[in-house]
Amino acid sequence: MITFDNVTKVYQKDWVALQDISFFIDKGEFVFVNGTTGAGKSTLLKLIYKDEEPTKGTIKVLDQNLRLLKKKNLPKLRRKIGVIFQDFKLLQDRTLEENIAFALDVTDTPARDMRKQMLEILTYLRLSHKKFSFPYQLSGGEQQKVAIARALVRDPYILLADEPTGNLDEKSSQEIIDVLLDINYKGTTVLMATHNLKLIKKVKKRMLRIEDGKLAADQ
Amino acid sequence: MSLRIGIREGFRTITRNASLFLLSLLVTSIALFLLSLFAFVTVNLYHFLNILDEKIEIIAFLEENADYEALASNILKINGVRDVIYVSSEQALKDLQAELQETEEVLSVFESNPLPASLRIKLLAKSRNARGLEEISGKVMLLRGIRETIYGGELVDQLKKITSVITSFDIGLLLIMIFSVIFVIFQTIKLTIFARATEIDIMKLVGASNSFIALPFTFEGIVQGILGGFIAFILTVVTQRVAVSFLSNIYFPQGYFFVGSLLCGIIFGIIGSSLALRKFLK
Repeated sequence: MITFDNVTKVYQKDWVALQDISFFIDKGEFVFVNGTTGAGKSTLLKLIYKDEEPTKGTIKVLDQNLRLLKKKNLPKLRRKIGVIFQDFKLLQDRTLEENIAFALDVTDTPARDMRKQMLEILTYLRLSHKKFSFPYQLSGGEQQKVAIARALVRDPYILLADEPTGNLDEKSSQEIIDVLLDINYKGTTVLMATHNLKLIKKVKKRMLRIEDGKLAADQ
Repeated sequence: MSLRIGIREGFRTITRNASLFLLSLLVTSIALFLLSLFAFVTVNLYHFLNILDEKIEIIAFLEENADYEALASNILKINGVRDVIYVSSEQALKDLQAELQETEEVLSVFESNPLPASLRIKLLAKSRNARGLEEISGKVMLLRGIRETIYGGELVDQLKKITSVITSFDIGLLLIMIFSVIFVIFQTIKLTIFARATEIDIMKLVGASNSFIALPFTFEGIVQGILGGFIAFILTVVTQRVAVSFLSNIYFPQGYFFVGSLLCGIIFGIIGSSLALRKFLK
C-alpha cells in the first residue's frame, strides 16, 4: 500500500529532514510514526500525499510511483487518502455539516450520494446532534472528530493522522484513538504520527521511530 | 455542477469578507477609472488631430469666367482627390464678412467684390502630406483657368510629426497603465486569496482539481471587474459632464466607453486572479 525506498528529503540550505528511509506498509495496517518534534514525522506524511517531493528515492502509494504521477492526476490520488492534523484545519465560518460537505462538494459528488454519506459518517461519529454548530462551539475532541469525518466521508484507502491528539486532553485523545482503531478495523490503512510514546505502548501497534531524519526502529 | 459550486463559493467569499472585497473593489475602480480617463483624453486628442487633418486642403483660385464645372470634374479625376467644392466670389465675400464682423468697414472701401471664385479641393487621407499636396497642386496648376493654388505644405508635415510622436508616447503610456492596472488588481485579489489560504489548503487536501479551486476566485475577479468597470464608467461620465462645462467640442462615444470599461474589468479581473492564484496552485 505504501512503499518508501531509500527516500531522502533535503530542504533548502542542506537541512536534511529525512535520510535513506525505507519501509513497507501493507493494506489494513495501523502504524505509528514516532519521533521528537522536528524529527521528520510530518515531512514523511507530506511525502505520502505528495505535498512534498523527495530529493532522492522512490515512493509508491496505492501502486502508484509518485514521481511518475502526473500533476493532473494528483487530485484523484488525494481523494483516496484522508489527512487529519493537530490543529484540525476546519473552516471557522462554516457549520460542522458544511465543513464535511465541503470535501464532497469540491470533489463534485452528486447531491444524493452526498446526503447518504453525510448521514452515515455523522451517525458513526455521533455528531448528528451538532451538525449546525460552528467549530468554535465544539470541544477539541469534537473538532478532531469533524476533521476525521471530513477525511472519511470519501471512504479513503489510507488515513494519515499528523499528531491528531496533540491538542487534546487524555480522555479526548483516547476517544480519537478508539475511532482511528475502529476505522482501521474496518479496513482502512492508518498511519499516525505522534511523539507520545505512552500512547503507543498502550495501543501496541507497529511503530516506525524517526530520529534526526533517520529510521531508528521499525517494531 | 462544479460551476454552480464555484459561483456559490465565490459569492460566499464576497459576502463573508465584505470589507476586504469593498476595499479591493475601490482600488480596482480607481485603477480602471484612471485607465478610462486616459482613454478619454486620448480619444479627444485624436478626435482633435482628426479634425485638423480633415482641414488639410488645397484652395485653387479661378480666373474670371473660368468653367468651374469642367475644372471640378477634371480635378476629381486626379489621384488622391476626394471632393471638390466650388466657392463663388459672392460666397467667399459672405464667408469673410461672417468671419470678420467688426471689420466690415474695411471691406466697404472696395467698390466691387475683390475676392476671386475658388475650388476647395478635399484630399484622401493618403495624400494629406506635404508631398501629396505638392503633387496634386502641381497637376491642378496645369489646368487652364486656374490662377493660383495655396496649401499648408511644411506645416502639414509638422502636424504629422507631432501626431506620430504623440501616438508613440500614447501607446507607451497606455501599456504602462495597463500593466499597472493589472498589477494593482492582482495585488488586491492576492489579499483576498491570502485570507482564504486555509480553504485552498483543504481543497487541495481533499482532492479538488486546480481548475475547481480557481473557479471561485476567477468568479470573484470577474464580479470585481464588472463592478469596478461600471463604477469607472460612471466616474468617467461625471468627468465628461464637468469637462463639457469648460470646453466645447468634447468627444465621448458613451457606448464604446461602457462596453470597454466592463470588458477591461472582466479581462483584467481574470488575468489578475489567475496570476494571484498561480503561487497557490503549484
